[in-house]
Amino acid sequence: MPSDSPQRLLITGVGIVTPLGFGWQENEASFAADRMVFRPVEMFDVSARIAKTASLIDLPTERLYRSLSARQEERVDRGSKMLLLALREALKQAKREDMRDVDAIVIGTSAGAMQLGERYCRNVRASTKRQPGQLTLVEHYQPHRQMTTITKELGWHGPVTLVSNACASGANAIGIAMEMIRSGRAKRVIAAGYDAVSELVFAGFDSLRALAPSGIPRPFDAARDGLALGEGAAAMVIEADGFTSNDAIAEASGYHTATDLHHLTQPDPEGKAAIRTMTEACRQAGVQPSEIDYINSHGTGTPFNDVAEGMAIRAWAGDATPGIAVSSTKSAMGHLLGGAGAVEAVICVMTLNGQWLPGSLNIRELDPVATFDVVRSFRHAKVKVALTNSFGFGGTNATVVMKQA
Amino acid sequence: MNTDAPLTIRGIGAVSAAGWSAADLVAAVKTNRELPWIVSERSIGSRDWECRVRPVPAPPPEKHVKHPRLRRVSNVSRFAISAGLEALGNAKPESLGLIVCLMNGCVAFTNRFYNEVIDEPALASPILFPETVFNAPASHIAAYLGISGQVTTLIGEPNIVAEAMRMASDWMKSGLVEQCLVIAAEEADWLSTEAVGYYDKRLIVTEGAGALLLALDGDGPRIDQIAGPMAYHSNRERVTALAQLASATTQPEGAALIDSAVGLPRLDNAEREAWSWAGETISPHRVLGESMGCASALQLVLAAALASDDQRSSVVSMPGTNTAAYACVIQP
Repeated sequence: MPSDSPQRLLITGVGIVTPLGFGWQENEASFAADRMVFRPVEMFDVSARIAKTASLIDLPTERLYRSLSARQEERVDRGSKMLLLALREALKQAKREDMRDVDAIVIGTSAGAMQLGERYCRNVRASTKRQPGQLTLVEHYQPHRQMTTITKELGWHGPVTLVSNACASGANAIGIAMEMIRSGRAKRVIAAGYDAVSELVFAGFDSLRALAPSGIPRPFDAARDGLALGEGAAAMVIEADGFTSNDAIAEASGYHTATDLHHLTQPDPEGKAAIRTMTEACRQAGVQPSEIDYINSHGTGTPFNDVAEGMAIRAWAGDATPGIAVSSTKSAMGHLLGGAGAVEAVICVMTLNGQWLPGSLNIRELDPVATFDVVRSFRHAKVKVALTNSFGFGGTNATVVMKQA
Repeated sequence: MNTDAPLTIRGIGAVSAAGWSAADLVAAVKTNRELPWIVSERSIGSRDWECRVRPVPAPPPEKHVKHPRLRRVSNVSRFAISAGLEALGNAKPESLGLIVCLMNGCVAFTNRFYNEVIDEPALASPILFPETVFNAPASHIAAYLGISGQVTTLIGEPNIVAEAMRMASDWMKSGLVEQCLVIAAEEADWLSTEAVGYYDKRLIVTEGAGALLLALDGDGPRIDQIAGPMAYHSNRERVTALAQLASATTQPEGAALIDSAVGLPRLDNAEREAWSWAGETISPHRVLGESMGCASALQLVLAAALASDDQRSSVVSMPGTNTAAYACVIQP
């Protein structure tokens, strides 16, 4: 059995960039207003797609990278820019803008810089000749190359681990960071997740009929018709207790991952892997289901996912189920894929600090599976312990538990 | 970061242009065998320059792995599972972790799917798309082996396998798993073959997988040191990083250096100069070709074979191209 470490892991800074806003304050204000942000996709042709909307970020027009020339910055993909902004916010809050004593960075992504890969492919189709600029696209399409640009911007030389477990990647990044500290290999680790919307991924989810034709995701609605894609990034500075002199904003207290072997893209209907991750993450955190005040669910709004997660929460929480507040912030900002787990963990940190809960928007009639307390609009609440679930293609399930500092 | 405890390599496996086993790899490298290459053709359109690829040969019948999950997978999954099963051998650990390392990932289906998206947007295959996701191979291997616990996919340069070994160590030390299978795999689709050609037209691209079954103890070669990362942000910094790496790496007496050279001085010189190795240097990629994401893992498999078969120590140099350099010391 895994050994439980008594060591507390403290979160000293977070950053969040989503279609709802840049940074903690803008995102909190959007949640307080029950705002959702879905709009027609214009970055690529969606005329032949069933779904035509996504939740997108308008990046700042000014230069973001001080260490790059304008030409070099053009090679940076949109997702990495979102990640850089999230990292800066987290580092500022943790008073680590100089990256002093940061042992490692762990990043989760599903698609990386896919847009650059798409451009490379289109160039290949357009010519039989070797083309200038293709080498640059080959290099920068690779997420690790993008991370080098970020570490250069941060002036830091250290290990960067990129984890790619589809939609659980961001949560896995946080968990891996926690494991690094608990194993004694590191004292301070930055964990993050990001993804930007790309044509290939949009078309992929559309081909699977996973995207909501209505354009509006309705997690836990009885007649939900699918998810909407979004994009964004979030970052978290996690430190060993006793190593930091900074004020902690939350405690990263439990994590577990498990693999659902049922199917490559569909969850086990009973959510067996999710039951395991919630059980073990709570055991590591030293809490019972009845002590969980809030679950930021994976809640994609697809028929299969929400039933499996709902069944899992009920089986895991038992009698405590009705008392647990649950919402899916994907209802407001879409599914951020590799960024989702990190963004939703940061939202949990925000709820622990602000004592509020974000809404699970757009529900008309509640699915009978949802016997927990579905938070249908923003509300103030007492939140001492929060949990977030992430499930990905390939069967990766992950749960992170956070407590008030 | 704290230093690493030794790891034991309980088993190795490989799929390469030399064949479907670690023994095939070792024999080809030791005898400097000339392996055949072919010209890679685009399946869409044509190109007016030549890209060379040294593919993995067709598998022998005993290497055909049958499982419902493997009916529609591309080569990267087939290579990974074959190498993994060879490394696992008859071992039946109480709990097994799985870490799959990739660089280009499932490029064959990604290429096919994206071209379908462009050509026939409404008909792009829903069967292909899930196979484009980086963690599809890990998912298939987990399903085949029944691993319902610690499974993850890391992406990066070939030397990300070094971070995978550290992660495996973390998992085992914390009791999450008893042993861990670390696999790095790559498939040479025409798109990636062509892409590598932008680095140097003379490169011959190849594919395959390398696998290590790791434990904290028991019989088998030891990973005594994982040195690095020596991170860099530019080619100039890379030269310095490689020199620092060579200084920071224990160099056992009589050890061989297993480097990443492909036989092109423009690409190889920085690494060679950093090590200035006085003893024997073994360069498997001169025989195999540019192995992309599985390159470092194949070097490690070779090092483990040298340790167990010939009782030789080796230093494995994994310099990377864009991010960081690593090295490993493998002892009998």
